[in-house]
Amino acid sequence: MDQYPEEPSSRMSRRSLLVGAGTALAATAAASVLPAVPTASPTLAATPDELQLVALRQPIELTTQRRGTSPALPPIGVIAFNRMAYGPRTAQDVERMQAMDAAGFRAFVEEQLNPNEIADAELEQRIRAEGFRTLAKTLEQLWADHSVNGNTPPADFTGDSWSWRNLPAAEVEQLTFLRAVYSNRQLQEVLFDFWFNHFNVLANRNGSYAAMTLVSYERDALRQHLFGNFRAMLEAIATSPAMLEYLDNYINSAAGPNENYAREIFELHTLGAENYFGSGRQEGVPGYAEGAPIGYVDGDVYEATRAFTGWTVANGRDGRPNTGQFVIHEPWHDRFRKQVLGVILQPNQLPLQDGRMVMDLLAAHPGTARYIARKLCRRLISDSPPEGLVARVAGVFLAHKDAPDQLRRVYRAILLSPEFAQTWGAKIKRPFEVTVSAIRALRADFRPTGSFLSAYNQAGQQLFAWAPPTGYPDTRDYWSSTMPMLHRWRIINLLIEEGIRALRQNETSKFITVDIVAQTAARTPTAIVDEWIGRVLGRPMHADERAILIEFLAQGRNPNFELPAHLIRDFTPRMVALLLMSPDFNWR
Amino acid sequence: MANQISVTRRDFLVGCSAAIAAMAGGRLGMAAFSDPETAANAEVLVVVFLRGGMDGLNLVPPIAGPDREFYEVARPTLKVPTTGPAAARELGSLGTVQLGLNSLAAPLYELYQERKLAIIHAAGLRHETRSHFDAMEFIELGTPGSKGSSTGWLTRHLQSAPNLPDTIITPAMMAGNATPTSLLASTEALAISGPDSFTFSGNWRYVDMQRSMLRRMYNGDSFLHQAGTQTLNSVDIIESTLPRDNNGRYTYAPANGAQYPDSSFSRNMQTVAQMIKLDLGLRVATVDLGGWDTHENQGSGDTTSTNAPFPARIDELARTLLAFYTDLSGAGNANYMRRVTVVVMSEFGRRLKENGNRGTDHGHGNVMLVLGGGVNGGLYGNWPGLDKAQKQLFQDEDLAITTDYRQVLSEILIRRMGNPNIATIFPGYSGYVPLGVVQGEDLQPIVPTYDYQSYLPHVVRGFPVTIAPYPEP
Repeated sequence: MDQYPEEPSSRMSRRSLLVGAGTALAATAAASVLPAVPTASPTLAATPDELQLVALRQPIELTTQRRGTSPALPPIGVIAFNRMAYGPRTAQDVERMQAMDAAGFRAFVEEQLNPNEIADAELEQRIRAEGFRTLAKTLEQLWADHSVNGNTPPADFTGDSWSWRNLPAAEVEQLTFLRAVYSNRQLQEVLFDFWFNHFNVLANRNGSYAAMTLVSYERDALRQHLFGNFRAMLEAIATSPAMLEYLDNYINSAAGPNENYAREIFELHTLGAENYFGSGRQEGVPGYAEGAPIGYVDGDVYEATRAFTGWTVANGRDGRPNTGQFVIHEPWHDRFRKQVLGVILQPNQLPLQDGRMVMDLLAAHPGTARYIARKLCRRLISDSPPEGLVARVAGVFLAHKDAPDQLRRVYRAILLSPEFAQTWGAKIKRPFEVTVSAIRALRADFRPTGSFLSAYNQAGQQLFAWAPPTGYPDTRDYWSSTMPMLHRWRIINLLIEEGIRALRQNETSKFITVDIVAQTAARTPTAIVDEWIGRVLGRPMHADERAILIEFLAQGRNPNFELPAHLIRDFTPRMVALLLMSPDFNWR
Repeated sequence: MANQISVTRRDFLVGCSAAIAAMAGGRLGMAAFSDPETAANAEVLVVVFLRGGMDGLNLVPPIAGPDREFYEVARPTLKVPTTGPAAARELGSLGTVQLGLNSLAAPLYELYQERKLAIIHAAGLRHETRSHFDAMEFIELGTPGSKGSSTGWLTRHLQSAPNLPDTIITPAMMAGNATPTSLLASTEALAISGPDSFTFSGNWRYVDMQRSMLRRMYNGDSFLHQAGTQTLNSVDIIESTLPRDNNGRYTYAPANGAQYPDSSFSRNMQTVAQMIKLDLGLRVATVDLGGWDTHENQGSGDTTSTNAPFPARIDELARTLLAFYTDLSGAGNANYMRRVTVVVMSEFGRRLKENGNRGTDHGHGNVMLVLGGGVNGGLYGNWPGLDKAQKQLFQDEDLAITTDYRQVLSEILIRRMGNPNIATIFPGYSGYVPLGVVQGEDLQPIVPTYDYQSYLPHVVRGFPVTIAPYPEP
């Protein structure tokens, strides 16, 4: 009864995803929400070529479509501020967004690609004001304080041991909101969100290595490399205690192999499932004979599992010290010959050499270049970016695979592509984007308090809390379903009404304070609506929807006459709420 | 049903919002959705997940024979008695063992005697993990050993169900605040911890106005406009169909003298009952009951005191399930229970041997319960025995698993829900044979054939690798 017969479940489980993908394809192609019946689904038994055809059959929203179906293509400034940033915040942002021409756009891209040269004084002041106590700690300090001594909080800590252990994750969660709202390095924040989800770990699990060391994961593994080199980021992730525990490599040994991390580094971090050739022989992958297999099979995953044996954490077990650092536990390492992606890893190499060679092979693979390029384009442009663009961006990725600024070059290629400037409305904001861009649009005084987070988390995109290694979905189907739609409206009313209440009760402890009326110069309904449309959307609103806002604000009066002060006071904030709930605020 | 108005999910999408809004004022009954007589189209599956690892050996303990002796030796302070007022109710034999039901679960004993409750012992997740998190993920993703799936098993059931017509507006709900992994990535499930949570919130003076303005704003034919319309319609329907008291709060009056205990689990089950009775086409509901991780002073079940965690939870569970069953078992069309199946499961059972703190640590095999009108009541499974010397225990310490939880769920999916796509819902699970727990037609399980998969919606595998030099801007 000790051992179960090995079921091919880990492999088969990936197959299950085809069903999901097939359903998504079928649903999109048919413009319907009907669940597809697998037996009738054209994609279940489809060859790759057929899949491509299905993908091509659906409209590629590259250009403005007929009115009512998709929104009109907005000026480049609007596209830039909604995809490279969480919308405009300051008056200068609005001015820049509205006035942006081609040269201004290129300047904006160059500026955002070099975040360290952008001043961020307001953000830094707000971070200081929060009095965070874990953000400056090294990995070793985090481990000593929150793991080794995780059950004994210091005397000046008011919470219990549970909150002390998980404090690094809690503070990074608050920090991430502050940065997204107040940082002038907006592209960096957008990309941090992308790469965190790409290298997803679950940090809201009590006592997980991710929870106790998220400060280091965020800073040392991810942000350090956001504009740098992919291969370097890959190794920083692979040697982080957060990832080592989350995907179980910390217990991967020659005697008891665990393939979880090895599986996901292929399937999610580098080559992607699109380059997976199933359970066949390594020799059977096209290109193998030429020494360049175009994809991977289970055999590569198993061999990579062996390569990563012994990559673990100094967690005080099995004779290792208890420092939280990455170590290779040599007795666990499988030192014999391995073969990964057509390359022989010789026996008895230096212990780290095997894993590093696997990462070298993965990071330099054309399949990885395409997969990363496609995912970035999916985040920054549309759910199904054109293959031509993906190939071009992948080319940049590969051509600069050893460059210290490889990723910056990749981002530049995407941002300055014609596709970036000529597409709109193929995606909608996710809950995090809705929330952050609304707070920015309101120019609110905001603090990510516990009561804010518990309300925000209802919306379905709680930070660092997505359990599967895939990261949050990045397609519009998922985020336009009923619950996310309802919550994208609820969060707006929450922000507006709490902002009003904080003002009225003159409270400073609320998570948001905003005086919408004081920010409004105009006095007639039409002018007030247009003032807010201009600063929030930076472009004309759909005429029918603008008329609805005016009607709401006018309350039966002539919209071109001055509105009485009490109506301005009561209805302007709720009109702004409607504007932030409108379709036009949600496109990206 | 001469004047029935047909409303479909597709209608919702294409914006007949005025009609829906008008209709929502009245009661949207089966007339608009599906015919109650076509039972196969109206089956409801309620999945109750006991979070924390329920101690199945103390819910359904051995009461006679050699295994009773092993049990008593292993649990000197926690054993369920076989004599006295708290004696376990006799259930019958499963193979070589005589099993009983903890007296605190007496409400369930009524259902068992009516043969509406099936008990499957030594069932569970056939994986070695004793981590709550891992075990729940594996079970609810439907992929033991792998956390790579991005959809839950119920999500895939809803996606693949061949009998889920366009007329269903709310096919799935989760009663509670969190989305269970079993419904991960479902785009159709509503989270309803009480009807109040599925509302459009805001300042009461403006919120109705805002809603009507939003309805007019989201009146277009883009996917976003359609999604907005559908959401507003769902909110309208739920708000307008649920009864309210004079203060505008939602109320619920259980039928048939059902007596629900007062607890949040009980309220969630009442919300599910309410949704079933509303005939909105509900097919799947999930409800959680936590508090089973009883590492210390768990309480033995030999007392009527429900202060200790285990007796308190058993009492709450049993009374709620009986009330739910009673509530939905009216006459004629009010006999909803004939098309409702409730399955109760937990991530794992607990260690045979009690620990030093009068509690039990994480174990392995466990009990699953299935109740409903279409259930063949009784004891099911293969009793593996508790004899350590005979290697009957899993890793020498826990009740072994002889029935894969997926076998039970597959039978419910096929025979009750009419969905034979087992390989889609439980990838990698093969060799399904029905245990006979529920009644229904045996459909041939469908095994899709494909050799390609991806997380991503639009990908092309292995096209020629040509990297053209790209002139960087």
